[in-house]
Amino acid sequence: MLALLKLLQSLAKTLHSEGTPTQIGLGVALGAALGLTPIANAHNLVVLLLLAVLNVSFGAGMLAWGVFVPVGFMLDPIFDRVGHWLLVDASSLRPLWTTWDNTPVLALTNFNNTVVLGSVVVWLALFVPLWLASRFAVVRYRTTVGERVRQSHFYKVLSASSLYNVYRWFRP
Amino acid sequence: MSTAGSVRSGDAAPYGPPAAGGAAPPNEPTTPRRVAIFRWKGIIPLILGLALVGAVWLVFADRILRNTLEEAGTKALGTELDVASLHIDAAQTAVELTGIAIADPFDAKRNLIEMKRMFVELEPAPLLEKKLVVKRLTLGDVRTGTVRATPARAVGGGGFAPSALREMQRWAKQFDVPLLSLTPIDTIKSIILDPGQLASVKAAIALGQHADSTRTALARGFGALPIQQTLDSSRALLTRLQGTNVRTLGIGGARAAVSDVRRAAARVDSLKRQIEALATTARLAVDTLQGGLRAVDDARRSDYDFARRLIKLPSVDAPDVGAALFGKVTIDKVQQALYWTALARQYIPPGLLPRQTAGPQRLRAAGTTVHFVQQDAYPRFLLRRADVDVTVGDGPARGKYIAAVTDATTEPALVGKPMLFAIRRVASGSGVDSLRITGALDHAKSRPRDVLTVDAQGVDLPTLPIPGLPYRADPGRGSSTLRLTIDGDQLDARWGLASGKLGWIADTTATRRLNAIESLVARVLTGVPTLTMQARVTGPLQAPKLAVSSNLDRVVGDQLRNLVGTQVAAAEAKIRARVDSLVTEKSAPVKAKVAELRAEADKRIADARLKLDAEKQKLDVQIKALSGGLVGLP
Repeated sequence: MLALLKLLQSLAKTLHSEGTPTQIGLGVALGAALGLTPIANAHNLVVLLLLAVLNVSFGAGMLAWGVFVPVGFMLDPIFDRVGHWLLVDASSLRPLWTTWDNTPVLALTNFNNTVVLGSVVVWLALFVPLWLASRFAVVRYRTTVGERVRQSHFYKVLSASSLYNVYRWFRP
Repeated sequence: MSTAGSVRSGDAAPYGPPAAGGAAPPNEPTTPRRVAIFRWKGIIPLILGLALVGAVWLVFADRILRNTLEEAGTKALGTELDVASLHIDAAQTAVELTGIAIADPFDAKRNLIEMKRMFVELEPAPLLEKKLVVKRLTLGDVRTGTVRATPARAVGGGGFAPSALREMQRWAKQFDVPLLSLTPIDTIKSIILDPGQLASVKAAIALGQHADSTRTALARGFGALPIQQTLDSSRALLTRLQGTNVRTLGIGGARAAVSDVRRAAARVDSLKRQIEALATTARLAVDTLQGGLRAVDDARRSDYDFARRLIKLPSVDAPDVGAALFGKVTIDKVQQALYWTALARQYIPPGLLPRQTAGPQRLRAAGTTVHFVQQDAYPRFLLRRADVDVTVGDGPARGKYIAAVTDATTEPALVGKPMLFAIRRVASGSGVDSLRITGALDHAKSRPRDVLTVDAQGVDLPTLPIPGLPYRADPGRGSSTLRLTIDGDQLDARWGLASGKLGWIADTTATRRLNAIESLVARVLTGVPTLTMQARVTGPLQAPKLAVSSNLDRVVGDQLRNLVGTQVAAAEAKIRARVDSLVTEKSAPVKAKVAELRAEADKRIADARLKLDAEKQKLDVQIKALSGGLVGLP
């Protein structure tokens, strides 16, 4: 329940933040990597670094992480199949993976695992669609129901909740 | 600090509804405003977060790695691996482990190896490729065969090692070790056999069903041939042309008539070819059935053995007695050696092809990890050399030893050399005068070859239970040699025992009185003062053969033959007669069925051939008659 409330607050905060739809969209697209791919991997460190350093919505990234975690679990069999195809079936890629797996630092990416590679590739393929879709969704939201939600009792309660206030203390 | 993705207060108005008629999205500035791409101050919380993760790692890394090592090691070895503590020395790229115990996969109450301390220093550069190249390995206070405080838990589930263990147990069960049953022969009054247990009866029943389906298939094949239709059509044509004058038909009519007759002749020829094809099929099918009948007879021989075992009829042949006395203990020895060899072959595969293993355990799907091997690169694991002092504190081999291992690696094709290991005794003790174990795992080429040699002299040999008798053979001090070679899938294992002072230990807990045969065998055995035993397990790994010979089996066999040889022969004859009657009951109707099928097929084919030949002859005569009347008729 707490997690759901937090997710709702995060969603409301992101949608009503001062960030532009482009920044929020990029944040969502980057944050999706954290949820779609197995978290304890080197590429996610790079994603976190990008979320922090690039001028995109960090909050949207965190929100996307939470939203895409169950999606990642659901899509694991597909990631496994995609990764298996890339690593095993596509023999023309074998020299690439052999070099990758035997190159210092690159070998630490775990891209020789079917789920890790499959999920990263799927995420990269979805990056632009996710960015554009979330950008479009934010624009639509703000032009249609955004202001009404802002004025709603629910939003005020949500914003006034102690948890939200605690969150605001730590808001960068 | 501002929210990531936010703009500075004062720079732009907070988000609001779009301006009327404005095309730009809300909060996207209508006038181009340069938005900074980077937010360098965002790196501060990231660094703080990473520092926090680093601090957690420093506190818990040892524990996490220890648990992971225990879990992965247990899975890989198929037996419990315990590590009391683990410490990572990042500066030295080294790991120090204490209290390491590997349980014996064949005895849960013992440890195969127990080490008080292990220090592993790794080369740092290969770590960046997730590879472990051991620079220095120090093992302290290594003991084997120690008693565990708590029995090791069984390793279940998937993974190679547990399945290899199960495979080895299945492997051991496949041997047909003769029984040394010393039941008095005169107690065998009647032989009760369930026909369903006899392989030859099962084969005969299956063959009968096969014969029925063959008969149906052949009948269907004959039925599908248009023999009668072809004959009727030909006869009708010949009847129509009977008495016809070629000259009255005219050239056109005669040509048409000849053409009709030739078509009919072609149909007959085509049918003859089909008949010949069917004849070949029928011959092959019946030959197969005859082969099946021979297989039934072959299976009968194994049924004789089965019946002998069922009524526990002792064998008086020396090889059988030898296998009965030492077969199980030989198989146990070879099975253990094979288990470790199977693990070595799994984890040290030949060749450079990418290898697939299960991915790491995590909440998400593990997937498959593919290891790509590159020429001139580091292998995933390499231990160039290790010298270890080993202390065996318990059992007949107690004492101090030196062990050495070279070129232990996961990719032998990269190292290009076989992994060698050797253990030798350095100080005499009460257990063994000399012990030497050497081994070579040559997986550098496509055909792996594993050799293990164990040579122990002046060793306290373990006592051996004598099946069926309340005695244990106590060979005392003697020699034991084991040489195991697995070349590809060909196994050659030889185990020899020799003792000049064989003793016998009576089982004092046994309360049953020995019968006459048992008493005799016991008297004979306990009078034998020496032991010489040679056992061999040879052949393909999937179906090896066991052969054992010893001085004991010769003595026991001779005595048994003198005492009960005649009765055994009579009992064997009775067994054969009983098996024969049961098998004949089922196989005789099948034999008759096969013979009947052959006769029926031959008769139908001969009959069809005869009719078609006669009809073809008539058609040829008709063609000649028609074409003879017209000059130049095609």
